[in-house]
Amino acid sequence: MTPAISATGLTRKYYDQVALDDVHLAIGAGTITGLLGRNGAGKTTLLRILGGQEFPSSGSVQVLGAAPAENQDVLRRLVLVREDQTYPDYQGYPNFKVSHALRAASFFYPCWDADLASSLLEDFRLPANKAIKSLSRGQRSSLGITIGLAARAEVTLFDEPYAGLDAVARQIFYDRLLADYADFPRTVLLSTHLIDEAAALFENVVVIDRGRVMLDTAADGLRGMATTVSGPVLAVNSFTGGRPVWERRGLGSQASAVIVGQISPEDRERARSLGLDLTPLSLQQLVVQASGGSAGAGAVTGRASA
Amino acid sequence: MPQMAGLDEGGSLFAQVAERLAGEIADGGLAEGERVPSSNELAAFYRINPATAAKGIHVLADEGLLEKQRGIGMFVATGARQRLLARRRAEFTERYVQPLLTEAARLGMDTGELIAMIKDASSEREGVPV
Amino acid sequence: MNAMIKVARYHLVMPVMFLGLPWATLALVFAVDVAQGGDKAFRAGLAVFFGMFFVTGVQRIGRWLPFGLTLGATRRSFYAGTALLGVSMSLVSGLVIAGLQAIERGTGGWGLSITFFRVPYVLNGPWYATWLTSFVGLAALFVYGMWYGIVNRRWGMLGLLAFIAVQVLVAIAVSFVYSRSGGGALMLRPAGGHPATLSALDLTGVIAALTVVCLAGGQATIRRVTV
Repeated sequence: MTPAISATGLTRKYYDQVALDDVHLAIGAGTITGLLGRNGAGKTTLLRILGGQEFPSSGSVQVLGAAPAENQDVLRRLVLVREDQTYPDYQGYPNFKVSHALRAASFFYPCWDADLASSLLEDFRLPANKAIKSLSRGQRSSLGITIGLAARAEVTLFDEPYAGLDAVARQIFYDRLLADYADFPRTVLLSTHLIDEAAALFENVVVIDRGRVMLDTAADGLRGMATTVSGPVLAVNSFTGGRPVWERRGLGSQASAVIVGQISPEDRERARSLGLDLTPLSLQQLVVQASGGSAGAGAVTGRASA
Repeated sequence: MPQMAGLDEGGSLFAQVAERLAGEIADGGLAEGERVPSSNELAAFYRINPATAAKGIHVLADEGLLEKQRGIGMFVATGARQRLLARRRAEFTERYVQPLLTEAARLGMDTGELIAMIKDASSEREGVPV
Repeated sequence: MNAMIKVARYHLVMPVMFLGLPWATLALVFAVDVAQGGDKAFRAGLAVFFGMFFVTGVQRIGRWLPFGLTLGATRRSFYAGTALLGVSMSLVSGLVIAGLQAIERGTGGWGLSITFFRVPYVLNGPWYATWLTSFVGLAALFVYGMWYGIVNRRWGMLGLLAFIAVQVLVAIAVSFVYSRSGGGALMLRPAGGHPATLSALDLTGVIAALTVVCLAGGQATIRRVTV
């Protein structure tokens, strides 16, 4: 099946830096994928190119089967919610209101749902009559999310859309995204650095670091990929002997080590008998490893491609 | 974040969904022939991706514990409860007895002491309704 | 065509803004003229109105392009739709100006001998000539303004300076060539017959040509603009 989004050898250079470096990507239709990585890793650049707002320096990008830039057919089935969207905001009278932005969106998106938009405005407590110029950062984010969800676009791209939103509002976003996705499946690519919050939403994750793809794998495959073993030093050393270890820490007679690989039932029993504690690494911690030192990144990448 | 109705973030989500459902069937919360929540319903409840929830359901379906009725949904198969209880019995030793023995050994208790402890605790429970 | 219509509707989501500003400014300047009492001397009040079309052209790119691209308009269709809207507004506004000019003539300068809508040599002929010249002038300024907006978006302040510098050089070169060829053809002067109309038509022709240049230039420049 053709992927909804794909990139081949995608590179984007600016005068002084390489934002994306030979990126290869394939994202299946109808899935929610997390685009994870540190600030400045290249997530925004990638999303802008996928949204047709930026041009690649070299390589190619396909969304819904064609290059998105300047392509009417693709663009009307795609929506990009940017962190820093500028609107035609005028101050004083007349001003460009939230309702104007929604009306404009309704002209461009064939599947636009005005009722969903109204209900989202209510959820976020965003008055339709307010001038965009006078919105707080969080309210601007709510507006972006409202447009992104109500557009019901086949390909929905979110670039860290929650700037200024408190934890309650972010939860509303995740809940509404899941609910609408369940009723109207679409391809969603959501970039975030608040990984643990959103982790359960993702079917797949792509981790980017310094413009390169470090990981592109099923989210569930990542979970349980690495485990922290903690307890008495000697027991830890005995347990981890012969296994790849990412990290070791110690304090007095206690120690902990992060080991890679699935833990078998025999392992568990052995750990129990040694009095050791086994805690799987969360997605966030795994991404930190993938974006971190070379040893960690290599181990995670290697494991994922196995 | 306490948002997944108790699912453990670090572990495999779909496996946990399957475990929860299996637990419900074993405890009798979901009777044989009863409709199991849809993947969308589970996803909304646990606040997870519907595909993950669907995977959890499929795990049980593959084991024959759930059966699909086209257009209606997934239902608990006949004999599912028995099979799950049998499985739990088989796992009982590994899951509960072994850790008990390990901990007892740690504390330097011998088997005789252990058995006496179990008998005491059991008779205390006798009069108490479960 | 469909795409251009969507862009036009987007621009008109706040209709007052598009049409209101130039006309409100016109009304204001006109009121000032009236207040200062009429005399036959022409005070270039109408120029302000024309200038507002330039400003609107700049703004429609500067302020409206980013969200337009986000909504999925292609750069080509955004340019075409905006230009189409501006040209249409120019057509209508030109007609209104011609109408107001006729009224001004008929009432002898609004009863106060004001010459606001009658511009010597340029806008002093029959109503259809006034309409044509106004239409072309307004459209030219709008499209010219759009080009400035695009250059600014793409290359910022430096780009604008370079843009202006190039135009100045071209203007110098052209006038040099023409003065060498001994032609005073571009100078406005009353010729025989209908003096004002003839020179106005000459001018209109030149401006129309420049408009086409701006249209082509703007379309080419917007191709790779990013927001």
